[in-house]
Amino acid sequence: MSDQVSERKGKGTVFVKKEVCKGCSYCIDFCPTHALEFSHEFNAKGYHVPVLARPEDCTGCDNCGLYCPDFAIYGVRWKDIDEKRKKA
Amino acid sequence: MEATLQADPRGVLTGVHFIDGDHAACEGALAAGCRFVAGYPITPSTEIVERFASRIPTVGGIFIQMEDELAASIAIQGAAWGGKKVLNVTSGPGLSLMMEHLGYAFITETPCVWVDVQRGGPSTGLPTGPAQADMMQIKWGSHGDFEVIALAPNSPQECFDLAIRAFNLTETWRVPVFLMMDEVVGHMTERVDIPPAAEIEVVERKWTRKRPGEYQAYGTTAEDPVPEMIKAGDGYRVHITGLTHDERGYPNLTPAAQDRMVKRLVNKIRLNADKIVDVREDGVEGADVVVVSFGITSRVAMAAIDQARAKGAKVGSARLVITWPFPAGRIREIARRAKAIIVPEMNMGQMVLEVERAVAGATRVISLPHAGGTVHEVETILNAIMEAAR
Repeated sequence: MSDQVSERKGKGTVFVKKEVCKGCSYCIDFCPTHALEFSHEFNAKGYHVPVLARPEDCTGCDNCGLYCPDFAIYGVRWKDIDEKRKKA
Repeated sequence: MEATLQADPRGVLTGVHFIDGDHAACEGALAAGCRFVAGYPITPSTEIVERFASRIPTVGGIFIQMEDELAASIAIQGAAWGGKKVLNVTSGPGLSLMMEHLGYAFITETPCVWVDVQRGGPSTGLPTGPAQADMMQIKWGSHGDFEVIALAPNSPQECFDLAIRAFNLTETWRVPVFLMMDEVVGHMTERVDIPPAAEIEVVERKWTRKRPGEYQAYGTTAEDPVPEMIKAGDGYRVHITGLTHDERGYPNLTPAAQDRMVKRLVNKIRLNADKIVDVREDGVEGADVVVVSFGITSRVAMAAIDQARAKGAKVGSARLVITWPFPAGRIREIARRAKAIIVPEMNMGQMVLEVERAVAGATRVISLPHAGGTVHEVETILNAIMEAAR
């Protein structure tokens, strides 16, 4: 779920701000490939946060980010991450 | 008319900061002496109350998260009558829930500041996208006749400065005062200079010096339409009600009392509007086209104005720092000389209705509406200016 993974799956990945999330499930409900699920862990506020249960299905479309009401998650395509890295 | 003091240094985070508008608004409230907030979280305003909750252990004060916005908007009024300066923080959907209590604050003349960090609407809308579509709601959304004061900051620095001004205005006039931010101003991070407490003027509440028995909750004179205030626990026996009341504060449900009370309450603002209005002008004298804007849209408009001036157009900017009461007189004057007035706003045409009303056909008024979610494109405003300047 971060860009530090040794092996990349899918066309993109997500970044989650665990402590901001309030477990509303919009990201899980609106992910077009159903790649997200609730984690079994809790954050400090007692909410379950989303995890990429099927990273190979993530396209980095950022629909999760568009729906999140609290800026707690966003999706990025691997190739956009690479392009930004190259420019930096 | 008002007693001014220096700010309480405990609430002033003097220094140069790099913070967003939400955080700056919270610091402005603390600097102004706000020590009670009852809140309910809603994007994009939540950071204001989160910061307040984390600051008050050192500053002193109370924060309660209420069960909903209805509770929040009335809990603060109880605290106001307990003697505190109070703040209400929400966005559009929360404001809709608070409408009844807005009317209550108006009729009881409870000093309180209401922050609306506007987001795309209507209904749940775009929680994380900006809009300026609540401008008319704050003026007309509660039932009955009422008046409010509203300020529109266009930067985090102004969120700080105008928050202090909002508290001073509500203590001076005893009407609800709105700080109309939007998601962009609230979430943009810029430099905010917070001066030393000694350089910040705050208006003290209009405490009465009359004794219990002499004091009348809503006693006023022809020269001074703002009544003096007391707080619970000081030994005054007063009755504060949302029913139509007379100067004693007790309900008086006669047409005569209604006439006296409603007229005094609305005229408190209407007849003193010229002491309150604030329009920041740039290059309006001699301009062919004047752009009337407020909030974050004014910064996009200024970029368009700069480009238009570079092309030789004579364009001025009239920025409404205070949107209510509306500066009808000044707009009318501007309309006499300008070929056109352009009104860009992040809504489908709200403050433009006031401009049109004031202008009364004296010149062209061009509305540049925007459904919200993002700021205007500079080009849209630029094209409208160049077209109008021809």
